[in-house]
Amino acid sequence: MNRLPALLQREYWENRVAMRGTPLAIAGIYIALAVMALISFGYLDHEFSSLKEAIRFLNTTDEATRAQVIHLANIAASQLFTLALGFVVFFYLLGALYDDRKDRSILWWKSLPASDTVTLLSKLVTAMFVIPVIFWVVYVLTVLAVYLIGSVTVLVLGENPWTLFVGLGNPFKAWALVLASYLAQALWALPVYGWLLLVSSFAPRLPLLFALVPPAIFAVLQIWIDFLKTFTWKTNLGGILWEWYANSPIIACCDVEEGRAAATLGVPLFDTFDGAATFGNMLDRIFSLQMASGLAVAVVLLAAALWFRRRATDG
Amino acid sequence: MSEATSEAMNESGEATVTPTRNVIEARGLCKRYGRTLAVDHVDLVIPTGRIVGLIGPNGAGKTSVLKAVLGLSGYEGDLKVLGRDPSSQRASLMEDVCFIADVAVLPRWIRVRELIEVTEKVHPRFSREKCLHYLSTTKVRQDHKVKQLSKGMVVQLHLAIVMAIDARLLVLDEPTLGLDILYRKQFYTNLLNDYFDEERTIVITTHQVEEVEHILSDLIFIQDGKIALDCSMEEVQERYVELMVRADRADEARALKPLFERVLMGRHIFLFKNADRERLKPLGELHTPSVADLFVATMSAGEAESFELNTGAAA
Repeated sequence: MNRLPALLQREYWENRVAMRGTPLAIAGIYIALAVMALISFGYLDHEFSSLKEAIRFLNTTDEATRAQVIHLANIAASQLFTLALGFVVFFYLLGALYDDRKDRSILWWKSLPASDTVTLLSKLVTAMFVIPVIFWVVYVLTVLAVYLIGSVTVLVLGENPWTLFVGLGNPFKAWALVLASYLAQALWALPVYGWLLLVSSFAPRLPLLFALVPPAIFAVLQIWIDFLKTFTWKTNLGGILWEWYANSPIIACCDVEEGRAAATLGVPLFDTFDGAATFGNMLDRIFSLQMASGLAVAVVLLAAALWFRRRATDG
Repeated sequence: MSEATSEAMNESGEATVTPTRNVIEARGLCKRYGRTLAVDHVDLVIPTGRIVGLIGPNGAGKTSVLKAVLGLSGYEGDLKVLGRDPSSQRASLMEDVCFIADVAVLPRWIRVRELIEVTEKVHPRFSREKCLHYLSTTKVRQDHKVKQLSKGMVVQLHLAIVMAIDARLLVLDEPTLGLDILYRKQFYTNLLNDYFDEERTIVITTHQVEEVEHILSDLIFIQDGKIALDCSMEEVQERYVELMVRADRADEARALKPLFERVLMGRHIFLFKNADRERLKPLGELHTPSVADLFVATMSAGEAESFELNTGAAA
């Protein structure tokens, strides 16, 4: 197992653009937007008069409300990262056991004394932890940069950034929630990760089609057969996957809850879990029957992926 | 290792202090692809300290044998490589076995520096100093990506890495395919001068028989998944002789039942196996056949044999 760090490093080297480039690009977008907004104010406004006006107005508002808005803004800033993270992990896993078969470099990797188990583990750990943590670090740095740009601006305009927004709310809690939701999602999504790795391990070509088409056909057939038999809709693969997705511990921002805007976990469509974005509700999902059955499915799929990987060569 | 030792003692029936260890031992080795038997009950013993040429036409089963030996594919029958079972112990086997399967299987995205680093961390017997030493005589630089290198440079890099690994068995499957003559010559020179010793064993498959015949110590011909010839180069010299005669004496030579006959510039060349050289001498010039000529003769003899068998079975 001491080979795992080297193999994780190799995954990072191979997928640097997706793993590091993507979050950095999003960070660039946020920072560019902040700077562009400042330039616009300076350009349209004589000496930032309306911005000063806005700060004065904000200073008069209720601190508790402002703290809540700042908390939500911190979480909202993670949304673009979360979305991109989903895509990056999806395509990373699809290629993880496929790309080296396609370009025949599997013959090189298999000439190293690293077992197929540790190789598979390195791919899984990369998808579950390495990529999410990289995205999270860049997300936090981006928020810090925006905080810094905002504070300097407010200072230059002669106001106190601490009482206005920096000292309000608890950004650390928002960041911790986002990190916790990424890690909880890594567990929650294990059956899907297992499926993607399995497809990646056997697909002779076009892993994307192999990943999407068979479950789609299966779900449609299930719906159709149920309908022929009973003229009702029953639980089918499509429904299961949709409920699984809706119940996932990903933070979505923001829904209106009891008249106030709030972050939620997943899409609050089912009553299975409490939708509020809290650590406790994430743990509820992790220690649930749904998670346990998902784990069982994941174990089977990962074992199958390993079986194919052990027999895989070029072509 | 202890396994191999005890086996050697059991077979010989007496305890020897330093038993001759076999690197590869195969008994009844079979490999099926659907209904075709690519490897057909092959028995093979390769002792330590040999350079073995595994030679056969396309589709004869060379690569299937090598893949089984390297733990890259499943097989039927008994197979032990360095005392291990390749299909279940590939990772540990790769600590003592290196292989270059075809050219250009190094991952194209990787930098030379990264490739060396990952090999160093994963392979306990890799020496970075040796590798850098071998690379220093080439144009390969550490910040090059593999995809920037020419085919010849990729092979130099691969060979530098493999030679820096203190392995006991090196398998080369068409290592110089598609390389120009300068690189090919250098490849084998480096291999012999800097790498090979009596503790190591090299198995080579290649189509360019002329290039390897002077370095081989043993010769194995494989045809239709079966071993057609398995002997040392000394035995080749003892067993086989080529007789070149003028056309008017060809019938006399033919009467001595040659294995194979060909005509070159008006001369008839006959290949004899286990022939009485004193009887051949008066007919013309005697010399040792080249591996290529022996190969052609053995393959056509094999085909004639199977043709006879088939027609015999039909009648």
